[in-house]
Amino acid sequence: MASNHHRLSGAPVAEAVDSAAVRITDLTRSFGDRRVLDHIDLTIARGEFTALLGRSGSGKSTLLRAVAGLDHGTVGSGEILVPERVSLVFQDSRLLPWSKILDNVVLGLPGKDARGRGRAALDEVSLAKRESAWPHELSGGEQQRAALARSLVSEPELLLADEPFGSLDALTRIRMHRLLRRLYETHRPAVLLVTHDVDEAVILADRVLVLDDGDFVQDLRIDLPAERDPGDPGFQHYRTTLLGALGVLPAHRTKEQS
Amino acid sequence: MNLDIARTGGGTATVTGGPQKAPPASAPPPGPAPEAGGLVPALQRRLGRGKSIPFGRLLGPLLIIATWWAASAAGWLDPRKLSSPTSVLYSAQDLWTSGRLQDSVQTSLSRALLGLLIGVAAGVVLALASGLSRIGDAFVDGTLQVKRSIPNLALLPLLILWLGIGETMKVVVIALGVLVSVYINTHAALVSIDARYVELAEAQGLSRWQFLRKVVLPAALPGFFTGLRLAVTAAWLGLIVVEQINATSGIGYMMFQAQQYAQSGIILVGLVLYGTFGFASDALVRLVEGRVLSWRRTITA
Ligand SMILES: Nc1ncnc2c1ncn2[C@@H]1O[C@H](COP(=O)(O)OP(=O)(O)OP(=O)(O)O)[C@@H](O)[C@H]1O
Ligand SMILES: [Mg+2]
Repeated sequence: MASNHHRLSGAPVAEAVDSAAVRITDLTRSFGDRRVLDHIDLTIARGEFTALLGRSGSGKSTLLRAVAGLDHGTVGSGEILVPERVSLVFQDSRLLPWSKILDNVVLGLPGKDARGRGRAALDEVSLAKRESAWPHELSGGEQQRAALARSLVSEPELLLADEPFGSLDALTRIRMHRLLRRLYETHRPAVLLVTHDVDEAVILADRVLVLDDGDFVQDLRIDLPAERDPGDPGFQHYRTTLLGALGVLPAHRTKEQS
Repeated sequence: MNLDIARTGGGTATVTGGPQKAPPASAPPPGPAPEAGGLVPALQRRLGRGKSIPFGRLLGPLLIIATWWAASAAGWLDPRKLSSPTSVLYSAQDLWTSGRLQDSVQTSLSRALLGLLIGVAAGVVLALASGLSRIGDAFVDGTLQVKRSIPNLALLPLLILWLGIGETMKVVVIALGVLVSVYINTHAALVSIDARYVELAEAQGLSRWQFLRKVVLPAALPGFFTGLRLAVTAAWLGLIVVEQINATSGIGYMMFQAQQYAQSGIILVGLVLYGTFGFASDALVRLVEGRVLSWRRTITA
């Protein structure tokens, strides 16, 4: 069983979290004999945009699910402190097919003005006119935008996202990058974004972590201007470093090293 | 092949197979029929079942009646075994003037409706009890699965022993059949809810009640409607069974008496009534289902 989960709201947690949005101490998670997360420590500051890279099967989703408190039944130990308001974006938009878009956005949102806030959130992702559409009437990109609206309408202090753009085409993905970055700058939540795309990580994040073999092998601060250009030499430098950490260096580099 | 662009009356460009096939420039729009190599209207789902025919469901029954009519008129049918549609209509008219038809229909309909209502309510309550709580599951589900394997007919002797042969027994028999159909399908839908939506509900911090209202119940509605349609059939079936047993009123009684006096017309009136009620009630459930489940995009759309 997962133990020491302090996901619940309450004074002690808020106090312990202080300037950090996430504090993970000595976290271990195993499936059978396989230890997927091996004594991990991680602190994410308030408002920090962090991307998490790693090969397929390296445990990115496992870590994210642990932070989201969704991994009941997984064997492990350690301590995770998170803020009161946490939102999660899935790879699929996961809209309830039997609820209209606005009802999906305000799902679980407390307060009298929930629907008003839901409309404002839809407006932010340019879907104000589609509030009474059924989810299946929206395109894949629009569905994912609605999912973004749903995750931001509660003004989370921590936004968790597991490959949220993984199922979108390249053009839509570029649009979504701009949108996510803009929303982030408006709302300033701490973000933990899981992705397998190195460029996506460098375009969006202020800090990139690489997970491998149960622990972080890279913790890189991205020092680039807000408008990032993948053709820029600085960008190239980060990309090369990260590809190296992932064990997939560009061909000429591999030759040099061998 | 050289292609011509011909302007049709509608002002849209149509690519046609060749100059000899191009319609004259002054011709009215040629309609949707495309010519070889032309543009094809992309309206229909190619692997769907095609356009729905208005009142199409009535075509089969109407064909059977027409055949019956023709066979009677041609003198192929012995009127003592199977009366002609015309004499069935006369029988119906007689029954109507004497008031027996209305009485029988009212009695039968209220039996079926009462049994249906009680059965649906009980089925839904039991399905919720066992679908939403482990304790309910332990007590209810096994019992209902056992009941499912015993046909109502086999329970009749016991029910007659307990409840007599009055209205109570009749309604209970109908309700039992309805209950099983509603329970099985609703329960299956409640317990097979997609784990991804459960995860979403947890992530969105839904309370148990919100989870039920926003996720579990809407997700189970399609299963409930499947059960309801089977239940309506089960109600008519139950009705026919109980009206064969020592009834003193209702459509079944009317048919039983006609059998004594070899009045095949009246028997057929009864059969037509059963058929019409079954057909109409199924259509009604379908209609409601379509309204309530309008979010579903299925191939029938
Ligand atoms: N429920 C589970 N039961 C058993 N093993 C699991 C389970 N979930 C994950 N694993 C295993 O744990 C390891 C890490 O899985 P995880 O889903 O965290 O990888 P990931 O980094 O997200 O990969 P990807 O990039 O492909 O999504 C994998 O080897 C996987 O097989
Ligand atoms: Mg994953």
